[in-house]
Amino acid sequence: MGSVEPIYKLRDLRHAYHHRPVLEIESLDIRRAAIVGLLGPNGSGKSTLLRLLGFIDRPTRGSILYNGHPTLPFADTVKSQVTLLPQEPYLMKRSVFANVAYGLSLRGRSGNIPDRVQSALRQVGLSPERFCRRQWNELSGGEAQRVALAARLVLKPAVLLLDEPTASVDAASVELIRAASLNARNEWGTTLVIASHDRQWLDQVCDDMCYLFQGRVVDTDGSNLFFGPWEPRADGHYEKKLANGQCLVVPPPPGHSAVAVIHPSGFRIVPHKRETGPETGKDPCHLEGLITQMTLRRGREQLAVTLAVGDLGLTVTSAQHEADQQQLYPGKKIRVRYLPADVEWISGRN
Amino acid sequence: MEFLVDGFLTAFQLLFSADEQTFSAIYATLKVSIYSMVASLLMGVPAGFCLGYFQFPGKRQIRLLTDTLLALPTVFIGLLVYAFISSRGPLGHMGLLFTLPGIAVGQTILALPIVISLSATAVESMDRHLRVTLISLGADRKHLLFSSLWEIRHSILAAALTAYGRVMTEVGISMMVGGNIKWHTRTITTAIALETNKGLFGMGIALGLVLMGIAFAVNISVSALRKR
Repeated sequence: MGSVEPIYKLRDLRHAYHHRPVLEIESLDIRRAAIVGLLGPNGSGKSTLLRLLGFIDRPTRGSILYNGHPTLPFADTVKSQVTLLPQEPYLMKRSVFANVAYGLSLRGRSGNIPDRVQSALRQVGLSPERFCRRQWNELSGGEAQRVALAARLVLKPAVLLLDEPTASVDAASVELIRAASLNARNEWGTTLVIASHDRQWLDQVCDDMCYLFQGRVVDTDGSNLFFGPWEPRADGHYEKKLANGQCLVVPPPPGHSAVAVIHPSGFRIVPHKRETGPETGKDPCHLEGLITQMTLRRGREQLAVTLAVGDLGLTVTSAQHEADQQQLYPGKKIRVRYLPADVEWISGRN
Repeated sequence: MEFLVDGFLTAFQLLFSADEQTFSAIYATLKVSIYSMVASLLMGVPAGFCLGYFQFPGKRQIRLLTDTLLALPTVFIGLLVYAFISSRGPLGHMGLLFTLPGIAVGQTILALPIVISLSATAVESMDRHLRVTLISLGADRKHLLFSSLWEIRHSILAAALTAYGRVMTEVGISMMVGGNIKWHTRTITTAIALETNKGLFGMGIALGLVLMGIAFAVNISVSALRKR
């Protein structure tokens, strides 16, 4: 994930719960001071990866190098630089002040605690005067999430791991949590690793993206995972029938539960043209769909164009100037082309 | 009904005149219950924490045994302790028979399964995110233990209260191990049993009122602690 000395190097990492493998990462580097987005469906291993990066759990196998040094057994000096905000943060049964100050006192940073706590609360948009003395059970969901974030920000961590930080909070809290998290990177050079389903936000803020699927890092930006059943065709290829009568043609899958991946750059937007006869697996295949969403990907001068093709959603990347030329806009019907040879397979885990 | 009214009147007389015999039983009860509660909490809370927190072979069997011991009859505990500390028993040389420490041993056996079982339940029902939160904020093993216990302090208090209620109101152990010796090992409950047998309702009711008063004071204290 880049040429700068990474803050994390994960090698041959395996993790299992009750002998059931949940994470298998051959190699993954995370750059210092980068914002890294973790994408993937539920159960793909995002939270597990964050817990390993946060030294909460020990991996079953493999190594995590932090600043180039092995982290097993976890040294307190390393652990004190990293903090994780879980998806459902837990506030201890104490006041807001005590919750935010807890980490400081644990880490032996006892100087000027009131000022630090107040500053952290302001960062997340909570008035110290109003909130310091409140009890944990006198907060709304969004306020509790912001207090939990303040408890991490007050530590000025080198790495802040955020697990779905804006899930199930109110809109105002979402903005404040996002701003406070980014501020940590901009102000202290904190490395942010954010697991989220909010693809649009991650596209906007992340320097790097990592897509997890069934516990493995997948070489895709997270779009275009196509699940079976795959039906054989006369030409030796397989197809998935879509709701509107179109077919997604693929090479023979390696197994029943195999998942097809087509990188968004593997699709090309082509002009509308009437085709005659059925498409064969050797030739480029075509799909027609309606643009449902267009997102500008940060620093890449690329648009991610999401299409609805029958019951299938797929993403196509397009350079900005191409999008201008083709006058793309949501609601427009477009035609895309791909080569079945570009289809990659992920062996499904049953 | 007249004897009951007389009993209540006598009870107030005994209490307000600081009757020595009555206060001797109250003193013995408080002393022995404090001994047994301190011992059972010191052993039971860490044991309950370990039983609820850690996974180890035989955990389910230990849990089953602890839960079964919740229904241990006090006379059976009294019998066992008597057998062990009587002059013929293996611990006879310690001279615990017919002493308050002897009763405290029996009451500790009575309270221990309650403290262990309810503490383990409290730990098991602890929010699963607590551990992640504490570690992510920098807690080591020691902080993890104490902060977790602090988080479930209300449940631990409830466990202690339940055990205290059982200890305060038991008769079998005090009677068998203590011998109900006047001025010495006579507790509130054994005194009530004896006085009632003698037809002296006044003292029985007085001691009953004291028991209820102690229970009320303990509950008020726990309630105040819960608010903190």
